[in-house]
Amino acid sequence: MTTTGHTSTTPMALRATTTNTPLTTTQPIIRARDLTMSYGGVDVLHGIDLDIHRGEIFALLGPNGAGKTTTVEILEGFRQRSAGEVRVLGADPERGDDAWRGRIGLVLQSWRDHRRWRVAELLAHFATYYPDPRDPAELLSLVGLTDQADRQVDRLSGGQRRRLDVALGIVGRPELLFLDEPTTGFDPEARHDFHVLVERLARDEGVTVLLTTHDLVEAERLADRIAMLVSGRIRACGTPSELARGAAAQAEVRWTTDDGTARRERTEDPSRLVWELHRDAPGPIADLEVRRPTLEDTYLHMVHREDDGTDGGGDSGVGEGLGRGRDGHGDGETRAA
Amino acid sequence: MTNSTDPANGADVRDALDGTEAPDSIDGANVIDAPNVIDGVNKMNGVNVNDGAPGPAKKANRPTRRYWRTGFLRGAIELRHLLRNPREMFGQLLNVAVALMVAGFISDDVPGTHIPMAHLTLAGFAAYLLFQIGLVNLPQILVTEREEGALLRLRATPGGIPAYLAAKCLLVVVMAVGTLALLLIAAALLVDGPLPHGPGGWLTLVWVTALGLLAVVPLGAAIGAVLPNPREALALIMVPVMGLLTTSGAMFPITSLPVLVQKVASVFPLKWMAQGLRSALLPDAARAAEPAGSWELPTVALVLTAWAVLGFLLAVPLLRRAARRESGSRLTARHRKAALSGAIAA
Repeated sequence: MTTTGHTSTTPMALRATTTNTPLTTTQPIIRARDLTMSYGGVDVLHGIDLDIHRGEIFALLGPNGAGKTTTVEILEGFRQRSAGEVRVLGADPERGDDAWRGRIGLVLQSWRDHRRWRVAELLAHFATYYPDPRDPAELLSLVGLTDQADRQVDRLSGGQRRRLDVALGIVGRPELLFLDEPTTGFDPEARHDFHVLVERLARDEGVTVLLTTHDLVEAERLADRIAMLVSGRIRACGTPSELARGAAAQAEVRWTTDDGTARRERTEDPSRLVWELHRDAPGPIADLEVRRPTLEDTYLHMVHREDDGTDGGGDSGVGEGLGRGRDGHGDGETRAA
Repeated sequence: MTNSTDPANGADVRDALDGTEAPDSIDGANVIDAPNVIDGVNKMNGVNVNDGAPGPAKKANRPTRRYWRTGFLRGAIELRHLLRNPREMFGQLLNVAVALMVAGFISDDVPGTHIPMAHLTLAGFAAYLLFQIGLVNLPQILVTEREEGALLRLRATPGGIPAYLAAKCLLVVVMAVGTLALLLIAAALLVDGPLPHGPGGWLTLVWVTALGLLAVVPLGAAIGAVLPNPREALALIMVPVMGLLTTSGAMFPITSLPVLVQKVASVFPLKWMAQGLRSALLPDAARAAEPAGSWELPTVALVLTAWAVLGFLLAVPLLRRAARRESGSRLTARHRKAALSGAIAA
């Protein structure tokens, strides 16, 4: 079972996940084919196909328990897959040696280590492990921690700590950077600065970024492409706008008729509907509004389609996905498949 | 000490103690034996096994030296943090202070001799402090750093695990030698404590200390690799350690204990470390109080070597396993569990 079958209703998304793309000029930084994982006979990943290219910011979305962490840990070389082919930076992550490790940066949300170290001291120390490290002082100013250089790590705020983790993740000039829920606990300004930093790394230095997040706004803002992982399968993959347009959610057109009743209609082709309305109407149409489906609509649609029991962690994941941006329009209809 | 009955933690211990990967355990199963980790641990023990890891062979020598250098730099920084952190130092200083106070209050002689009992007690304390650094402090450091994610970060860093182990070696040796020196010097100055008699005594002091550390440090590393979390780790370690402290004849002549207890205690290294240090620090007349009537130095060397070998045999696979089991999700799960049990306890 590949993703192809599931995305057949969405031509754009389909193109993005097409398997057997002839590999011509550039090898993808991450390439997975039919990646499968099972724990004790229970499959948690059912044949993932993934191509992530140099300089791309790629976001992996999905509810808790969908297999995001498992997928990423397989790519990071921390977990052994059950089956399938995986190449990361040209090597099988299960056999990645020190040189391979040195080309990969990691920012995890769980790190609380090296509490007693001073910020600059820790960064300078980790620079010594790499053949061509960044200048620690420059790096500190890059992540905005210059003023905290002499501070002990456990006296940093949550956001500062995470920025230090980012600095440690890129001190070795990685070609590939894994970011796991990187902005959890950031205030809006820190989040913005972080996004600018990640974009700079990708654009100016060609760093490839694989981001896992629950924050749909962040994914939409940062990612060149997004894959939605639900119940161990990639349900959709494409640019944020492709996904928003693509999957299930139809656009919603609202207007008010001459006799004052509010109408709403869901359609695949809002432009045609609006044209027809105008054609039939004697004059301007009151309160006319076209709502394009958002990434969140797509996400919720994908997740809810899976709600029939298979996905144990799904409920909490949806809760987190719901965290931002629902403005209360057409709840029931949005979710109807 | 909270008496946690969290069943999940129990499962973790079981899982951790289980030598083979449990196939139904999500955490334990399918974790990778990363070549760099294996390679690193092998190098740490001088067993430079090249298990077919990719990478040019001619470069093999240079990274090893870099690991050691980075490791020692790391160890030096950790030592500086230790010295600057009064709370960390407090435990060690308290031990020394207690030893000095006990020695100051004891005024009788070792039975059958004219040697002050305080000397025997101080030698015992010296052995116990070495023992404690290897089997209590080291495992605690390892478990704490694993829980915080330092081990995972170093696993994700090229050459990180070998450097980590080198740093810990340096840290433990300096801690042990520093504590021992502090105890002996302070005792000599304040309570007329014992110092080795002549070059032979100093030599014995050096080799018993070195071999004693070799006996307990790898063992402590192995324990640190399998213990669940810092809070429970201390409870699990302290019970047997206290048992050995009272039965090994470190603080008072072992001859006053039942024979069976003596026999059991003589399996473990503490008795022999204490006996070796007594031979270094006390005059030969004190042999009268020994169970065998002599210092039994060859047996001291033999038992401590055996424990050193056993420790290495356990530590290498267990540390390797601990390192390769680390991953982000495991770390998150443990933090969640810790937060949960903390919330329940509160």
